[in-house]
Amino acid sequence: MTAAFGFFFLPLLEIKPNRLASGITVNLFEIEGDLRYIALFLLALIALAISFQEKRLQRGWTLVALGNLLIFLTLLLPANAATDLLDGAASLFEEGTRFSNPRIFTSSAIAFGLLGGYIVLFGGLRDLVAEKVNSGVRLFASAIGVIFVLIALFNGSFDIYSILVEFSQRGETLGQRFIEHFVFVLVSLAAGLIIGIALGLWAARDERMEDIILYAVGIIQTIPSLALFGVLLVPLARLGDQSFVNVFQFFIVTLIIGLVVLFFVSRIQGTLPESLRPWAIIIAFVMLFIPVALFTILAITFGFKTVLNVFLDPALSQTLTLVFAGYVLAVLVFWLDRRLDEKRSIRRLRYVRYGLTALATVGFIGLLFSGASQIIGSRQLADISVRNLGVSGIGTAPAIIALTLYSLLPLVRNTYAGLKNVDPAIIDSGRGMGMTPAQIFFEIELPLAVPIIMAGIRNAGISLVGIAAVASIIGAGALGDFILLGVNTTSVDLILLGAIPAIVLAVMLDAILQMLERLFTSPGIRREA
Amino acid sequence: MIEFKNVVKQYPNGFRAVDNLNLLVHEGEICVLIGPSGCGKTTSMRMINRLIDISSGEILINGQPNTELPAEELRRQIGYAIQQIGLLPHMTISDNIAIVPRLLKWDEDRIRTRVDELLDLVGLDPDISRDKFPRQLSGGQQQRVGVARALGADPPIMLMDEPFGAVDPITREVLQAEFLQIQERVGKTIIFVTHDIDEAIKMGDRIAIMRDGHLVQYDTPDTILAHPNNRFVRDFVGTDRTLKRLGLIRIKNLMDASPPTCTLDSTVEEAKQCFVDYGAKSVFIVDKDDGTLKGWVDKEELKTNTSLLDAMYEAHWVDIAVRQDATAREALSAMVARGFRVTPVVDRHGKLVGTITLKALQDLVSYDPTSTATTEAVSNVG
Ligand SMILES: Nc1ncnc2c1ncn2[C@@H]1O[C@H](COP(=O)(O)OP(=O)(O)O)[C@@H](O)[C@H]1O
Ligand SMILES: [Mg+2]
Repeated sequence: MTAAFGFFFLPLLEIKPNRLASGITVNLFEIEGDLRYIALFLLALIALAISFQEKRLQRGWTLVALGNLLIFLTLLLPANAATDLLDGAASLFEEGTRFSNPRIFTSSAIAFGLLGGYIVLFGGLRDLVAEKVNSGVRLFASAIGVIFVLIALFNGSFDIYSILVEFSQRGETLGQRFIEHFVFVLVSLAAGLIIGIALGLWAARDERMEDIILYAVGIIQTIPSLALFGVLLVPLARLGDQSFVNVFQFFIVTLIIGLVVLFFVSRIQGTLPESLRPWAIIIAFVMLFIPVALFTILAITFGFKTVLNVFLDPALSQTLTLVFAGYVLAVLVFWLDRRLDEKRSIRRLRYVRYGLTALATVGFIGLLFSGASQIIGSRQLADISVRNLGVSGIGTAPAIIALTLYSLLPLVRNTYAGLKNVDPAIIDSGRGMGMTPAQIFFEIELPLAVPIIMAGIRNAGISLVGIAAVASIIGAGALGDFILLGVNTTSVDLILLGAIPAIVLAVMLDAILQMLERLFTSPGIRREA
Repeated sequence: MIEFKNVVKQYPNGFRAVDNLNLLVHEGEICVLIGPSGCGKTTSMRMINRLIDISSGEILINGQPNTELPAEELRRQIGYAIQQIGLLPHMTISDNIAIVPRLLKWDEDRIRTRVDELLDLVGLDPDISRDKFPRQLSGGQQQRVGVARALGADPPIMLMDEPFGAVDPITREVLQAEFLQIQERVGKTIIFVTHDIDEAIKMGDRIAIMRDGHLVQYDTPDTILAHPNNRFVRDFVGTDRTLKRLGLIRIKNLMDASPPTCTLDSTVEEAKQCFVDYGAKSVFIVDKDDGTLKGWVDKEELKTNTSLLDAMYEAHWVDIAVRQDATAREALSAMVARGFRVTPVVDRHGKLVGTITLKALQDLVSYDPTSTATTEAVSNVG
């Protein structure tokens, strides 16, 4: 144990006195004789020494405290020094250097400092876990450092760092890009969830489709995102040129043809020779695929535009906040209801919950409608082209469709696995007791598959946050804009300005989904305990 | 009452799992389906609640074809318990038991009472088990919940496919005994599938022995043991079938209920008179007040002794007697071990209630089982 612990601390020994590099010139400036850095170094040594101590609880708390201190000081101390540095900048640079927005770049030593701080912190937390310290207390203990950093941040102590200089200039667009990014992930996840669960269910139920579906979604995942954007470009651009009425007629016609073919094929299945049967089915599905895909594309792109509108339009987003609050409240009431009386839920509370949910849902649908109507504007039906609905070769349409496709693999695979995983004896006993197929699906299979499906959703959500950043290349907006700009101008801070919110988004999303997972997973099948 | 009429099950691959089965299961009886693995027991059972479709023939339940109701409605009226138990792991014990009542739209108060009642019935404390999840219970407890769940909406018919197959032998014995007690109270018509002949003999009012989808023999356990139809049945019930038969019979139905008796304070003369009256070789001595067996005395001893107390062999009843609710098999075992030809029979408190002779046991298994004496004895089992 102690040996492993010591191993964990190895990187910490590498800590160096901090160096700050000016980004404009590549000169390095040593900060001379500042005892404070020696203090930092000593702190790390103390941590190392303490890690050999035997009493676990004490060791844990000390390490957590030291870790927090290390993190905080690593960020704070150089900031002070940086201010001095900036003040004296004029004398450091050659004469005639122009100063605009002078800034300080953080360098790798800071990263080492933070890393060291976190290693100490997590080492301590591990002890606390082993000592079964309450998880809330642990969370608080590990967050103290971050809280201090945030306080210092708002206090302006770190304003000197270049990333914050960028932030102060671009804060507003950052917010908008963040929302775009979030909506991208949200909509593609929602669309992917519907399609993915349907496909996963199909694969789990139909042995003939099992391989085809799993293979197909697997292939999608292997296509590089840029290539997928490229592939989507031409057909979407073409589609965008059509008028909506035409496309709608085309949709109806192909749908009818597809259904007729499917009906016909299933009728003559029995009379066909064995070798032709699979082909007949495949033909029927291909026929149906055209209208279904068309509908899906339109629904997803239009849906995305609508939701984005709801989020970005000031009036609508305020209503959205209300709607959201309504749902949260409904969940709270639900929780309260359960807590108050386990055996008989109080009727009135249940009505409050239903009322809240209904109200919020009505509000939500209303929001979607007004968002949608804003997109269509005052156009006549005949004038509406598919482009007006948001379908175009570049921009958000190919991005949202590609994202939806990428979300499919984890969703389909996990839905499939989740459903296949259900013990057949459980389903048999459900059937034997007289449950209908729908009851078996909703009351047995789905609840039992939820943990695995939710794991798929989390998996998809996090990777979507990453892929959405790439979508900026085809002009889709989102946080990738900053990253692209940063790459083009070799400005690390711009890249960070895009990347950090994306990471925050991913972590938040994961936390929320994890909460939902707990909410939807019966304690009877939870992993722990 | 369940009636199989020329029932055939042919699987799509052409395999006939059940071939022209005719079987009548009487109201309130446990009918055990038994046979080697793959002989079609499960298939036959699952055709009753239509988890498997019949290829031809029909199954009548109380005279009505089981195809009259929609399958789901039919199944809600038939209890169903399987070896794998199949408790829903995400639901509490009470929710599991309440599944069928909920499907039948009972109101919640009635369901709650019913759940507690059933938990009590299967020997689980409602207050402790109600809100637990299946994984928090032991295998035996889960089986109990499985039985309780099958009894959920008080169905007249129960289908049980090796319901005690997944627990250890000791727990199984306990569960079997408990279930027989429950059945005594609820009197369901039960189809009970097993591959364990001892379980079949213990649980079945009637046993249907199957082989390759055919019914080979359908009779009471005693008849099957006494008169196996053919070699297959004989081999299946095992070479110790005579002992197994003895295991079905309780001593109290076989014993001679007027044993030669003297009390501790009888005189030698009274005892001698007793030998004359009964024509016996030994006379049993009991306590005058509560009739507890105290020992016995042999005829020869009386000749040399002047006091009965000197002449008698004194012994605790536990060492020389068999209990009246022991099986004939247990009595035989005791007699062989002690070398007795005649053994006293006592009740729970050691009171002498009769005697049993080795000859009576031999006669029983060598006599024609359809003769009245044996049939009476057998029909009184339990
Ligand atoms: N779906 C099926 N297709 C073909 N054969 C089957 C199928 N299900 C069961 N069988 C066969 O039917 C026979 C009877 O099965 P079953 O009733 O389960 O036997 P058991 O008596 O062991 O319960 C077995 O030989 C089994 O292999
Ligand atoms: Mg079986």
